[in-house]
Amino acid sequence: MSTTERPPVPSADAPPARHRAARLLGAALRHPAVVPIGAVVLALLIGAVIILAAGLNPITAYAAVIDGALNPDSLDYTFSVWGFICGMALAAAIPLRMGEFNLGGNGQLVLGGLTAAVIAGYAPLPGPIVIPLAVLGAAVVSGAFGALSAPLATRFGIPIIISTLLLSPVAVAVGSYLVRFQIGESGSAVAQTPRLPEGARMWALGDLSYSNVGLLIIIAMMVVFWLVDTRSAVGYELRVVGANRRFGAYGGVRVGRLALGAMVAAGAAAGIVGAIIVMSSPYRLIDGALISPGYTFAGLAAALLAGGRPALIPVTAILFTVLQVGGAAMERSADVPRQLSDVLQGVVIVVLALRTVLDQRRSERSSA
Amino acid sequence: MTSETGTAAPAVELIGIGKRFGAVVANDGVDLVLRRGSVHAVMGENGAGKSTLMSMLFGLLEPDAGEIRVDGKTVRFTGPLDAIAAGLGMVHQHFRLFDSMTVAENVVYGAEPRRRGRLDRAAAAARVRELSDRYGLETSPDAVVGTLSAGARQRVEILKALHREARILILDEPTAVLTPSEVDSLFAVIRRAADDGSTVVIVTHKIHEVLAVSDEVTVLRDGRVTGRFATASATGEQLVHAMTGREIEVVQNPRSGTPGEVALSVEDLSVTDAGAGVTHIDAVSLTVRRGEIVGVAGVSGNGQHELVAAVLGTIPATAGTVRLLGEDVTVRPVRERRALGLAVIPEDRRGEGSAVTMSVAENVTLGHHRSAPIGATRGIRRGWMSLRAERSRARDLIRDYDVRTSGEQQPIGSLSGGNAQKVVIARELSHEAPVLIAEQPTQGVDVGAIESIHGRLLEYRAGGGAILLVSHEISELLALADRVLVMYAGRIVAELAGAEATTARIGAAMAGAAAHDAPAAPDPVLDPEGPRA
Ligand SMILES: Nc1ncnc2c1ncn2[C@@H]1O[C@H](COP(=O)(O)OP(=O)(O)O)[C@@H](O)[C@H]1O
Ligand SMILES: [Mg+2]
Repeated sequence: MSTTERPPVPSADAPPARHRAARLLGAALRHPAVVPIGAVVLALLIGAVIILAAGLNPITAYAAVIDGALNPDSLDYTFSVWGFICGMALAAAIPLRMGEFNLGGNGQLVLGGLTAAVIAGYAPLPGPIVIPLAVLGAAVVSGAFGALSAPLATRFGIPIIISTLLLSPVAVAVGSYLVRFQIGESGSAVAQTPRLPEGARMWALGDLSYSNVGLLIIIAMMVVFWLVDTRSAVGYELRVVGANRRFGAYGGVRVGRLALGAMVAAGAAAGIVGAIIVMSSPYRLIDGALISPGYTFAGLAAALLAGGRPALIPVTAILFTVLQVGGAAMERSADVPRQLSDVLQGVVIVVLALRTVLDQRRSERSSA
Repeated sequence: MTSETGTAAPAVELIGIGKRFGAVVANDGVDLVLRRGSVHAVMGENGAGKSTLMSMLFGLLEPDAGEIRVDGKTVRFTGPLDAIAAGLGMVHQHFRLFDSMTVAENVVYGAEPRRRGRLDRAAAAARVRELSDRYGLETSPDAVVGTLSAGARQRVEILKALHREARILILDEPTAVLTPSEVDSLFAVIRRAADDGSTVVIVTHKIHEVLAVSDEVTVLRDGRVTGRFATASATGEQLVHAMTGREIEVVQNPRSGTPGEVALSVEDLSVTDAGAGVTHIDAVSLTVRRGEIVGVAGVSGNGQHELVAAVLGTIPATAGTVRLLGEDVTVRPVRERRALGLAVIPEDRRGEGSAVTMSVAENVTLGHHRSAPIGATRGIRRGWMSLRAERSRARDLIRDYDVRTSGEQQPIGSLSGGNAQKVVIARELSHEAPVLIAEQPTQGVDVGAIESIHGRLLEYRAGGGAILLVSHEISELLALADRVLVMYAGRIVAELAGAEATTARIGAAMAGAAAHDAPAAPDPVLDPEGPRA
């Protein structure tokens, strides 16, 4: 064969696994838990490198993160944040179950907070009525907003990932405008609504100052999602469509309706989180305060890391809660900027997205 | 039982090969001798251990026991590169090509002709042309692989092996993805390669293929060799017996009984892809009555699949009507058509007929998840599913349809093709819908199971079911159909009543000749340049 050199290049057919050990390792590496856990480890390593590069000690910094999040004095606060991240993880996970990405969590969160601020702030009704009403109102408004993306996808072919991403800033801007110029507290230096009347604040849990009944509402939503996902016809259809859309359509699943339902539920979950935040201390809607903690992004990361599986979300949410809450503590005690938490979240998301892309490549290669 | 009758020295000897996967014994003391310049068929039912054996020969797996000799020398391959260096080449059951690259780039990948360190495209294309001419493998070197049909992709895989100067060619179930005429040209290529001095192993479970192309046969069952034959002196019955361990009676539609009222009727149905400007089906009309099996023959890609999709409702009809049990369902969604009484065994099992990552139980549940025993149509349990009922129903079906799995929770994607097909069939037949569309119902399924699926389809017919059977296997249509329609270029070009349907007539119509004016012509499709002539 004159035209070729003997190939030292590994063939595309199969990487030469030299030893049995290498093969075993290869098999172990294909375990579904490897990529998510690897993503987290990689993120922590990259974080360590960044901290080192800044001339600081990563061990001290991470210890500060853990301590800041888990020390008994801050547990109350940590739990409330965990709840918000779980809630926003639901908003991402429900559509993710059928293979759709909801990137509009911020808009849904703000509209929910806004609705709750209006209902709780202005409806002259007793607490037992006005609190549920505000939560429900937030769910309805944000659910309707989330729902917009479904017909855009089925009728006009605009992917849900795009429409949610593009609609979200619109809702955020509307919220900002209303808080600044319409329903804001006059004479205040900050754009914020007046404090809610006592009767319209989320019921407390004992003498905890951050975690309140809102946390229970979010836990209940997660339980419902788990039940629906594992043992309802709709949950089954979501999973079928997520696993293979064509299989679902062939089997008679109404994919368009399912997308509508999933987006309503996702929007409603985010809206409820917004309502709970507004009705918790400091009991008002402050412009930007719903978005700046980054619950949406952390929730999305937790949902991705859990692969949308309801039983795993509470666990993956812990990770991002620790990063989030501990990040602030790290800034205080170890002098590492809290933005490092965002970097770590970002790395996790990039690695998980990379896996999706690589999986697609691989299936392209073996297409028959 | 003859082997090593010839004078040629063996190109490959496998001696006492054993391999286990956990508790599964995939190969047990397998001996296999491949003579130079001959075509050797390795046959056996799904799960018999054929792919495992071939993977060990190609260095993809290491044997637990036994010895491999190539040209009389003992070898130990630690990976496929060693096997390639020793002159082996393998075409896998699932293709391993880069879709976005050209044929020439794929062929030379890993052993590129280079000029000044870069890929020499002209030399690569010339090499592909030279090999294509030598072996009669039609390809265009510059075509992008992603645009090619399954048959053309397979030719690229073969060229890849030939490019690396493979003298021993392993083909694992190469015909599973091919149309009848593609099978014929593949066999011609195989013959030519063998006449050229190459050694070819072809893995298959189709008896007529073994008889058509091979010189010798080794039969595996449950990981052991259960028969060795010189093809010339072997009969189909002997092979089946060695493969299954029992006699198989041929299933045949009795063609008795009078069909009932029309269950499915299609009138002037057209499907056009306006964007691409392609007419997939053009004014197709047909009816299927209760208690009748109507066969649809045709080379794949002549509109059969679009016909099925338009009747099911997954693609819209451009014109015409579809009536199900008398109701016009042309614009109804899939769910309503299925609820009225339609079940479909689809051709594309992995892409449409299953969700490979989900369990057997979940796969067999789709469409049954809202009705008893799993779901409920009314009452408080409406919309909820009983996981226990789901599992026990799945276990029953696994037993009834003899699906080989480690349990109902195993992902369907890890089952062999034939077993996954049984799951799909179990799901659709258990709808007991008045109308059944079966597209390639026995694809990838082995002899013993084909017989049982055919038997079930005939039972369905006897029970008053209306079946539209789309198949590329003429023998299947002849065995089952009451009438055969032949599709060509999106139209029905021939209708043959059971008695007048013959291989020759169907074959002629499949090739595009109108069957009416081609009486008992010789078989143009099935015998272009007779592989073994
Ligand atoms: N990688 C594997 N891990 C576990 N079991 C396997 C693996 N490959 C094959 N098997 C099992 O070995 C047996 C033989 O499989 P295979 O060689 O693929 O059969 P065939 O190609 O004849 O259909 C089957 O029972 C199969 O389930
Ligand atoms: Mg196989």
